[in-house]
Amino acid sequence: MAEGPVYAADPPDLRRLVVLDALSVIFHCPSGQTHIVDSPAPEILAALGEGPADAAGVLARLARDHDIHEGSEAEAALAARLEELAAAGLVWWV
Amino acid sequence: MSDESDYSQDDGAPFGGATPSRRHLLMLGAAASTVVTIRPALAQTAGSVMNCQIPVPDPRKAGNYIAADGQLVSPGTPGAFAPPRRAFTGEEVKTALRGGTLPGTDPVSSRAYTNYIRRLQSGMSGFTCYASLQMPRG
Repeated sequence: MAEGPVYAADPPDLRRLVVLDALSVIFHCPSGQTHIVDSPAPEILAALGEGPADAAGVLARLARDHDIHEGSEAEAALAARLEELAAAGLVWWV
Repeated sequence: MSDESDYSQDDGAPFGGATPSRRHLLMLGAAASTVVTIRPALAQTAGSVMNCQIPVPDPRKAGNYIAADGQLVSPGTPGAFAPPRRAFTGEEVKTALRGGTLPGTDPVSSRAYTNYIRRLQSGMSGFTCYASLQMPRG
């Protein structure tokens, strides 16, 4: 199943998350950077808090905890979100 | 709305298999980018970013090996990697962070070194260089 890249994120205690209505602000302690994020970024980071996973694995965790809107296109959409988080330094490939 | 109860920290959320209580509809296919990064002022020193250096490990921890997850471990620890022969430049690290391999390393040890670099924190040698590298794609 693990055909795509496997993603990882720092454990939750290395981030500070403040929910500001529709958006959230994340302070990433290791890099000292602040990120303004929209859903589903906090949910993805929470899912990766359980350990590294590929897009399918992250999707399974998200689907367990949330209702997913995209149906069959969910994995491709999630991969794009993961790449955004990787570009921001909150997620990386392992 | 300004009540402190509006604020929450994700380290207060259940992890490790428990189901979060805030179940809701998740829209994965956002039309625009969902992440905007505010970089510290030190990151604006773009001119020197590519030439700055990141030692692995911090010279104050010289001699330690680097485990696959980037943690420093005792020399000779099975599965861990000896330090590279030289510090990496910002440009080399930037390439590695995008999926490349650090020069003079194989993909596995490169990943360990890169994981170490990701764990750098303020005050550690190379942190300023690393923080400067963390820019959105482009």
